[in-house]
Amino acid sequence: MTETTVEAADREITVALPRFGTCTYRESEVLTFPWGLPGFATQRRFIALNLGGQEKFVWLQSLDDLSVALPTADPWQIFEDYAPHLPPYASSSLDLKNPEDFATLCVVVVTPGAAEMTMNLLAPIVVNLRTKTGRQITLETGGYSVRTPIPRKAPAPAAGA
Amino acid sequence: MIGDDVRIVVVAVDRDTVKLGIEAPRTIPVHRSEVYDEIQRTNRAAAGEPLTPSAPEGPKVADLGGKGRRPPPKP
Repeated sequence: MTETTVEAADREITVALPRFGTCTYRESEVLTFPWGLPGFATQRRFIALNLGGQEKFVWLQSLDDLSVALPTADPWQIFEDYAPHLPPYASSSLDLKNPEDFATLCVVVVTPGAAEMTMNLLAPIVVNLRTKTGRQITLETGGYSVRTPIPRKAPAPAAGA
Repeated sequence: MIGDDVRIVVVAVDRDTVKLGIEAPRTIPVHRSEVYDEIQRTNRAAAGEPLTPSAPEGPKVADLGGKGRRPPPKP
């Protein structure tokens, strides 16, 4: 018998995604959202995807419902002075200690006809990269908007064509 | 009380208006439902965005790095 235990724990999985086509990921790359996401409360498992040519945007692809994928981006690419102050429940529920342990992503919305793009700076998605656990956090301070317009010069994720 | 540590208090009664306060530990998020509803709507709108043009290389797992609370250093 050959030893396959280690590989089984982090096996490669290939899925056919309705929006993006075939994708291969490892079990260790799956992000868990124990509280779901607002609007998608039952979705727990996601992977973060880049599409070729659109590296600045990260799609959070649900693995529980393959038809669900949310476009997000690092907010500081666009809003350099963004200064979210995470409330205590965020730090405690996600076990956030070191800044290098976590990533911050904000949901991007493209209005119909691609006339405008907005970013949700009020509720960033925070992911602990060590535990692979994420949660969308509603900020209590800072006065940020759910739909902050993205200046035109920023690259478009989907509707730029 | 809700459970052992969440308390609903009447802050003020003024004719036809009652102001309620919620006292909860700092570890429990308390938000107005309008705010939560708006975040729900935004997430659903984002997920309903038009199909992305198919990339020739196909989707790859993103390297999220560790960006944390701070913006990336400026060049």
